[in-house]
Amino acid sequence: MQDVTNLTRTQLDALREVGNIGSGNAASALAQFLNRKIDMAVPSASILDFKAIPTIIGGPGTRVMGIFLKVMGEISGRFLLLIPEKTAIRLLHTLIPGCEINDPLKMTELESSCMREVGNILAGAFLNALSVLTQTPMLNSLPSMTFDMAGAMIDGVVADMTAVSDKVLMIETSFIESEEDLRIHIFLLPEPNSLVLLLKKIGVS
Amino acid sequence: MTAIIPVGMGEMKTADKTGCLAVYGVGSCVIVSLYDSSRKLGGIVHIMLPDSSGLDPKAINPVKFADLAVGKLAKELTSQGARSEDLCAKMIGGAEMFPPTEDFENNIGRDNTEAVKKALKKLNIPLIAENTGGRRGRSVEFDVTTGIMRLSILGEEVREI
Repeated sequence: MQDVTNLTRTQLDALREVGNIGSGNAASALAQFLNRKIDMAVPSASILDFKAIPTIIGGPGTRVMGIFLKVMGEISGRFLLLIPEKTAIRLLHTLIPGCEINDPLKMTELESSCMREVGNILAGAFLNALSVLTQTPMLNSLPSMTFDMAGAMIDGVVADMTAVSDKVLMIETSFIESEEDLRIHIFLLPEPNSLVLLLKKIGVS
Repeated sequence: MTAIIPVGMGEMKTADKTGCLAVYGVGSCVIVSLYDSSRKLGGIVHIMLPDSSGLDPKAINPVKFADLAVGKLAKELTSQGARSEDLCAKMIGGAEMFPPTEDFENNIGRDNTEAVKKALKKLNIPLIAENTGGRRGRSVEFDVTTGIMRLSILGEEVREI
């Protein structure tokens, strides 16, 4: 098993490029879906202390929508979308004609299912690009969604990865819609036991 | 005003008389408080995983694991003057935040909760209150002056346990 804390700068750069390619494809899928221009923030691949993850989106108590998918295949991992409350509401207003929701805690089944579909499209596009890049098929599970406090969403996703080390490898990127503040954070956490294969497939083993 | 001391994942903190220990955004983790009411001395462990067996004890942080964390907190409090027979426990957390799909299910929350109960039983510490399971995140403030935990869940009234 590759220890994430021993990754070289070259390996991290290559993983960042993985994030770039995946999120580039996801951004164009979202742009098509919404029929708007979407800008992408510069992706980062970092070895993070797991406690730092909730601070990326405003602290452990921040209200946020989370969509979780498993990445399945020879290279496996976890895919987490964190969508700030404001963005989630705007997406729902854009996607569902006549939708007037202002509290995501009160989503209807139609609204939940619409957001899960957003997760499905983004993860599918991201992983498709990665499958091509690595020549290794990667599939996503059905999406699971919740709206709650950021800290609460993250602890269960990373817990078993942090049994020994406090560090997790995370490829992170976010989208910003050009005109308004529409922001989506994408986190890809490769399973530690498939990291060696991922690095080999991207030529930096 | 009482200082609020945040307790992050895998951390243990104690306070006496006027302290308030707080944890925000708890999902599958379990927060266990131990309290000696006559000495107004209490502490919290922020547990992430149920079981440390099979791992090198020297390489791990015991507070992350239910099987080690509870005993470590009890020991810490008794070393500060608490009496082990006066300690009472409360716990919150252990949710499964993401509903299972056909491709995955996640039982860390439930396993954490059960492992804490087992550890408390072994140490003979009574569990006097709990709010665990379900699919909602929790935040909690543990007031060491009174031993009361104020529990918040999004969209619900704050309650005391």
